[in-house]
Order: sequence, then C-alpha cells, then structure tokens
Amino acid sequence: MTRRDFSERDIHLALDNELPGDERAGYETWLEANPEMKARSARYASDNEALRAAFADVLDEPVPARLQNIVIGEAAANPPVFRSKWWFAAAAVLLLSLGGAGGYFAGAIGLDDGGGPADRLAEEAIAAHVIYAAEKRHAVEVPASDKDHMQTWLSNRVGLKLVAPDLTEDGFELVGGRLLPASDSSKAAMLLYEDASGNRISLFVTSESAAKTAGVYNEEKDGPTAVYWLDRGYGCAVVGTLPNDRLNEVAKRAYKQLVSSIWS
Amino acid sequence: MDGKKAAILGEIPRLRRYARALLRDRDAAEDLVQDCLERALTRLDNWQTGESPRRWLFTIMHHLFIDQMRKVDRRGEAAMLSLDTDEALAAPAEQLETVASREIVNALHAISPERRAALVMVAIEGFSYAEAANMLGVPAGTLMSRISRGREELRGLLEDSARRRTLRVVEK
Repeated sequence: MTRRDFSERDIHLALDNELPGDERAGYETWLEANPEMKARSARYASDNEALRAAFADVLDEPVPARLQNIVIGEAAANPPVFRSKWWFAAAAVLLLSLGGAGGYFAGAIGLDDGGGPADRLAEEAIAAHVIYAAEKRHAVEVPASDKDHMQTWLSNRVGLKLVAPDLTEDGFELVGGRLLPASDSSKAAMLLYEDASGNRISLFVTSESAAKTAGVYNEEKDGPTAVYWLDRGYGCAVVGTLPNDRLNEVAKRAYKQLVSSIWS
Repeated sequence: MDGKKAAILGEIPRLRRYARALLRDRDAAEDLVQDCLERALTRLDNWQTGESPRRWLFTIMHHLFIDQMRKVDRRGEAAMLSLDTDEALAAPAEQLETVASREIVNALHAISPERRAALVMVAIEGFSYAEAANMLGVPAGTLMSRISRGREELRGLLEDSARRRTLRVVEK
C-alpha cells in the first residue's frame, strides 16, 4: 500500500476512478478518519448520480431524422441560413440576464461579426422612435382601439404574422401602430406603447433574413436604447429610454409573444 | 452506407446528451449536434480510421460550443445565468420530472461553460481525465481544477436553492 497524504483533491480522483488502485485502501482509511471529507465525498457522489440521472433519458430518445439525414447524406430541407440557432439561443439568454449590470449597457453586443443588418435595424428603430414617440397627436396611424385591423394590415404589409404583444404586466398599454419604410426597400411595423406616466417605448419589426444575432445598441449617451434580435426571417428592436433592467424585461416579454405569434 | 458513417450515426445519442447538458434550450442543443455532424462530415479525413469516432466528434462539438461562448464573453459583459432566471427567454418550458432534477440542471447551467464542459465529460459521459483533457485541449491540471471547482460551485448553488426552498416553505 502506498503511503501518502490525501486531500480533498483525492475525493475527485476517487469519484472519477482516477485514483491508482494501490492508493485506494489508504484513501479509504483517510476518509474514515475525516468525517468532514467523508461527508463531502458522499455529497459529490450523490450530485454526480443526480447529474447522470437528469440526462439519462436522452440516450433512449429516438434520434431525430434531420440528424440522421445529415450523416446518411439526404440533404436537410432547411435552407442553411435558418439553421444553427443554438448559439444564438445561448447568447440571448446571456444577453437578457444582463439586466441590472449597472451602468454598462451601451454598445453593441452583436454576436455575429457585428455591424451590418443588426446595427441598421437598431438605427432605423431608434430613428423612428425619436420621431414618432415624441408626437402627441400623430404618433400612430392606426390607434389601439382598432387593434385587429392594425394587426392584419401590418402583417400583410410586412409579410409576417404579427400580434401586438401584451405588455400590460410591464405597465405598458398599446397606443397603436404605423407602417414605415425599412432598408432594402422592405417595410417595418412600428408598435407604440405608453405607460401611466407617459413613457413611451416602441417595437420595430421587419422581415429580415440576416444571420441570427442579438444585442443592445445605443447611439448617444442619453438617447434611447434599442434591444434587438434577428432570428429566422424577422428582426425586432425594442426602443426606449427606460432603465436598462426595465427595458430588458419588456424586451423579454415582447420577444416571447412575437416569436409565438410569428411561428404559430 | 460506409462504415465511417455508420459509426458516426451510432454516436448521435451521446452527442445529443452532451449537447443537452451543455445547453439549456433543447432546440439549441439539437442545432449544436447538427452543426457538429455537418462539420464532421466535411472533415472525415481527419478521423483516424480504426478508432472510435467518439472522441473526435466530442472534440468538434466542444470547439463549436466554446467558440461561441467566448464570442459572447468578448462582445459583452456576459453575466452568467442566475438560478432565478428559470424562464430564460430561449428556454421553452422543459418538462423535467422532479424538483431535484430541475435544480441540478439549473445549477449545471449556471456554472461557467468551461467547468460545465469538463464536469459533463467526466461525470456524465464517463471519459477519463486524460481523454477529457485531450478533447478540451487543456493540460490535465487545468482539467482537474475545472472539475473540482465545478463540483464545488454546483454544490454551493444546490445548497442555495435548497435554502430558498426552505424559506419559501417557511413563509407560507
């Protein structure tokens, strides 16, 4: 039996079957003599068990046909630009957990090579917000009282199935919407919301086939901020001068509802 | 179908499990596997025949995963997910069976991507330290410390959520 001093490090080695066989007995003796380490070892072993159990079922699931087809060689039906959103999803989760990150918020956090369609979307959305959110009587073309008509009209023009998200939980009521020109001679829908104290935010939605990305964009220090994302054929920016964490909350709620309406 | 492709097909279930452990969102995990398979098929020559493609495929997938995580880190002050953001935007309601299972999955996704990957490779996928270090492209000592710190962090997070659960019960 090898004689040596053991430490917490050995708990991991033992658990992962990395402890040399001739050290095993010495380790067990050491563990028996150190109740705290023994408890730690039991704890790690049970966490390990729980981890394995949590993902055990995945092995028994049928392999999705689209994955098999990649290997077998039958071309996947999806156009490549709409695939690979896994990293976008991961990044968006990170992005939206940024709320409350203090003063840091300005600057793009684009996840593709930055610039391009994402910045353009954010710039257009901010420009529209600056002009129309300031209008008292002519902020929208179709008022919220005519919401059904507005949704149908904007959906047809923009080419996406649009449902104005319900943001009442964030304190925002729909004011109405308007149709705007967007880059590449496409069209954008702008939906304007207002809270009880008169703060306005807008949602700017375009059909957009650029690569998936998400980020935060801010042109001037005290100007409005846009939280935006591009995903599978559409782009959206939520613009406002709210505190960052609040804008983030609103964006998160808007995202969920827009995605479920567009892809329903 | 040739032997190489058959061998790769056989690894898909494990690749899916690894991806699911790395990424919270199911669709995102599936897309990661897809990206990995596509990349693998364009570099079939890089795989030494006679060897199981498992480590080769895991290495490809890991690189895809970590590259994107690094991009996130560089571009923004990417905060790690906290345990309270269960309803993360990209995560559809994932029906996990028990509180315990949900808690450990949440905790796993709250630790750093590097530690998560190391822990998953060893604790779930059953690779040896040498194999995992090789696939992750780090020295054995680094792998070892990622594992021990990862487990430590996981334990802390689980204890926090257990404490919060107790508090909620007390408050009722």
